[in-house]
Amino acid sequence: MEPSSQPQPVMGVATGGSQAYPPPAAAYPPQAMVPGAPAVVPPGSQPSAPFPTNPAQLSAQHQLVYQQAQQFHQQLQQQQQQQLREFWANQMEEIEQTTDFKNHSLPLARIKKIMKADEDVRMISAEAPVVFAKACEVFILELTLRSWMHTEENKRRTLQKNDIAAAITRTDIYDFLVDIVPRDEMKEEGLGLPRVGLPPNVGGAADTYPYYYVPAQQGPGSGMMYGGQQGHPVTYVWQQPQEQQEEAPEEQHSLPESS
Amino acid sequence: MSEGFDGTENGGGGGGGGVGKEQDRFLPIANIGRIMRRAVPENGKIAKDSKESVQECVSEFISFITSEASDKCLKEKRKTINGDDLIWSMGTLGFEDYVEPLKLYLRLYRETEGDTKGSRASELPVKKDVVLNGDPGSSFEGM
Repeated sequence: MEPSSQPQPVMGVATGGSQAYPPPAAAYPPQAMVPGAPAVVPPGSQPSAPFPTNPAQLSAQHQLVYQQAQQFHQQLQQQQQQQLREFWANQMEEIEQTTDFKNHSLPLARIKKIMKADEDVRMISAEAPVVFAKACEVFILELTLRSWMHTEENKRRTLQKNDIAAAITRTDIYDFLVDIVPRDEMKEEGLGLPRVGLPPNVGGAADTYPYYYVPAQQGPGSGMMYGGQQGHPVTYVWQQPQEQQEEAPEEQHSLPESS
Repeated sequence: MSEGFDGTENGGGGGGGGVGKEQDRFLPIANIGRIMRRAVPENGKIAKDSKESVQECVSEFISFITSEASDKCLKEKRKTINGDDLIWSMGTLGFEDYVEPLKLYLRLYRETEGDTKGSRASELPVKKDVVLNGDPGSSFEGM
């Protein structure tokens, strides 16, 4: 009997939200392992029928896992949005109580120097650096808060450069900063939660590459913690695309170790 | 928050030699670290490279907003960038959340500035009032 010409799907258990997966390209052999996936399902146990592309077609058990994952992400987003609302309310409150305009948390002369670096800038009013000192203070606080959210998601207690990169990648208004943080960090950290200002499932890892849910081949007693709940591991499958892509796959970057 | 002390205090520049000029492009890292600490819990820590990253981001933010405000002044044939121009630019460039708090801050600043200028003027003879009472948005080019 001749071997099937149909490309075999590659299977692995997705271990983290920020895992970098290779883009589907013809350069990948049919049975290459998804990088970072801890286990391969034995060839005999692979289902012969094509996998369901829609979570609605899955068994009730996996539908539940999918819903739990969605729910967890939604809760996390709501929690973060609430934090940001509180942040802005606090800022307004602080400003209302401001009486000292002589001492600033950032040096006005340095702010003015940075402004003057623009050749088109002719004159600057005395109030402009004062406004900027406050604006920069708020900017630092907001960027740090958004970055800390990423630190906590990764269960760390130290704010790292990749957390700043993640905050920049996820937030629309920080688009002007994309050249400041190295691109490789952007690629790694941009995965996970969707961008702020976009509907859910846009900009996250889920819609980037063609992965499908499949039943997990799991031994008795094993399980996985997801958002503090005992659940089943989510298994993703990457299928070889039918059409060949002209571009070679982008360079793969390994994730930095969390402290 | 266990962190080493950064040598630079308010307005402190970079190190010696050619580094000083390079550091003039950024706000002091000690000041940035102090502000960042306020957004992180007590038991949280901040890596040095993340402070440096934010330091660059802040300078970029200043340049980004200033450039837009400068264009506005150019179109309106004005030479001086004032607080309102900066706030308008922030709103235009997507920082809508910054607008109301900063409008309030600027109003309070102008009120206090007006008070101090008024009190200084009242101590001096009336005939000198005209010279001393400049408008709150008066410009300067020095520094």
